[in-house]
Amino acid sequence: MSRTLVVRLSATFIALGCAWIAYTQAPPQQGKQQAKQASNKLNKVTDDLYEIEGDGGNVAVYITNEGVIVVDDKFEYDFNDIMAKIKSVTAQPVKYVLNTHHHGDHTGSNAQFPPATEIISTANARKNMIDGKQPGAPRVVFTDETDVFLGGKQVQMRYFGRGHTNGDAMVYFPALKVLHTGDLMAGTSPLIDYSGGGSLKEWPATLDAAMKLDVETVIPGHGPIAKKADILTYRNNVEKLRTEVTGMIRQNKSRDEIAKVVQDKYGWAPTGLQFQRGFDGMLAELKR
Amino acid sequence: MSRTLLVRLSSLLILLAGAWVAYTQAPPQGKDGKQAKQANNMISKVADDLYAIIGDGGNSTVYVTNEGVILVDDKFEYDGQDIVDKVKSVTNQPIKYVLNTHLHGDHTGSNERFLPTAEIIATKNARDNMVKNKAPGVMRVVFTDETDIFLGGKEVRMKYYGRGHTNGDAVVYFPALRILASGDIGANNGPNVDYANGGSMKEWGATLDGVLKLDFDTVIPGHGPVSKRQYLIDYRDIATKIPATVTSMVREGKGKDDIAKVFTTNGGLWANPNVVNKLDQIMAELKN
Repeated sequence: MSRTLVVRLSATFIALGCAWIAYTQAPPQQGKQQAKQASNKLNKVTDDLYEIEGDGGNVAVYITNEGVIVVDDKFEYDFNDIMAKIKSVTAQPVKYVLNTHHHGDHTGSNAQFPPATEIISTANARKNMIDGKQPGAPRVVFTDETDVFLGGKQVQMRYFGRGHTNGDAMVYFPALKVLHTGDLMAGTSPLIDYSGGGSLKEWPATLDAAMKLDVETVIPGHGPIAKKADILTYRNNVEKLRTEVTGMIRQNKSRDEIAKVVQDKYGWAPTGLQFQRGFDGMLAELKR
Repeated sequence: MSRTLLVRLSSLLILLAGAWVAYTQAPPQGKDGKQAKQANNMISKVADDLYAIIGDGGNSTVYVTNEGVILVDDKFEYDGQDIVDKVKSVTNQPIKYVLNTHLHGDHTGSNERFLPTAEIIATKNARDNMVKNKAPGVMRVVFTDETDIFLGGKEVRMKYYGRGHTNGDAVVYFPALRILASGDIGANNGPNVDYANGGSMKEWGATLDGVLKLDFDTVIPGHGPVSKRQYLIDYRDIATKIPATVTSMVREGKGKDDIAKVFTTNGGLWANPNVVNKLDQIMAELKN
């Protein structure tokens, strides 16, 4: 084999490898048709309320005798699985899909619902979807509160302020005292999407407002079902991050020093979405 | 003719006249809409793709898009078929959304007919009032502050600015056309406060201050002919002046009869039998 050929082949392999990494690491928000297999599990939360966990964000399924209300719809490749899971517990059709925010792991199946299904989000979430050229933008939006009454049941969708993005809604099931928080509570440490209007500074106040609701059970945007007390724990962790980073900025710590602290204490890996989407935006916001 | 007969005939005539007045002035809410009445409406073009249906009950507004029609208010129950026919005379598109400006039966009377095939939207207070009054055609979707409908590339904005005619009046704004459907906080018979459904003479002017922050040239009032922006500015001035006048006359020690005289002599929106008829309630509200 000539040396030139070796160089060329190596270059090709490196290029292919990079393409593969770029492809698999691409943020899911692009709505790409990935040939991925859905992997989800349906859990009963309480009477007539189920949760689908697995891929992407957690989905809530509320069954009424006039149709089903769904909160969030994961990735595009999860659509058939979501519908199959719903069919396993009710014959009712999906009448409403409520999106907690614009990200593709919560809105990925929007475009596959028939026009008869009403999709609702905040005005800002829709705007973010349009700006990001995402498919399946909702037809109906709200700014402060919207309520859906179906089959004698009520679901309340509220906007409490900025946090993960500038358009996060929470979905409250008053009769069941259950709250789907969207990604205002997800994982252990916050992901602040500054390009989507997120704010670390305002996040704790947003959760304070949400905690005024009479809630017992919490379905977070990602992760296992939790209790109301867990919102407070999460909120205090968000506040601690804000206070600690603000303190380091005031002490003129370098970007690298701060990056090390958020990695060690908050688990923000430099390759992770929390760091990539939130770190520089956080420094800029807290400097103000 | 004997004198007795004359007296009897006269009383009969007076009685009949009284019954006629009672019949025609009966509030249109609820079951009273189920009269075997003939619809009597006209559709007229206001701007590109926007029409007003004027005649019975409150004015309806028709916005045509290539994905369906957005209808504002749907008159009495007996107007339902005529509304459908009038819409059909200008487009083949189906009615997808019905936006109710408030609860009253002359604006929501055909809701039941549209509920299975269209999304009906109102303020949360308007729905609460309909439920309280056992009105038919209660909607599934409500909002508190603002909701927007995006259909066929067009936008319609529905906003709540505060109390006035009731505690749940929404205005509907067509931003691309600079047109506003005001509902009955701009009805051309002058301010008429429905205290039983949370209305307020005191707050009406401030509510219209909010509405006037919108950028519109044309007003389709809840009742009355299509008008210019100045109509609603004048309306706001009068809605502000009515409570101010009542309050200052009460302070001067003037009685109800003296105050009533002011609202029967001046003419225009100001000569308002609604204010005279509800003066006790208005005076009671302004005492607080």
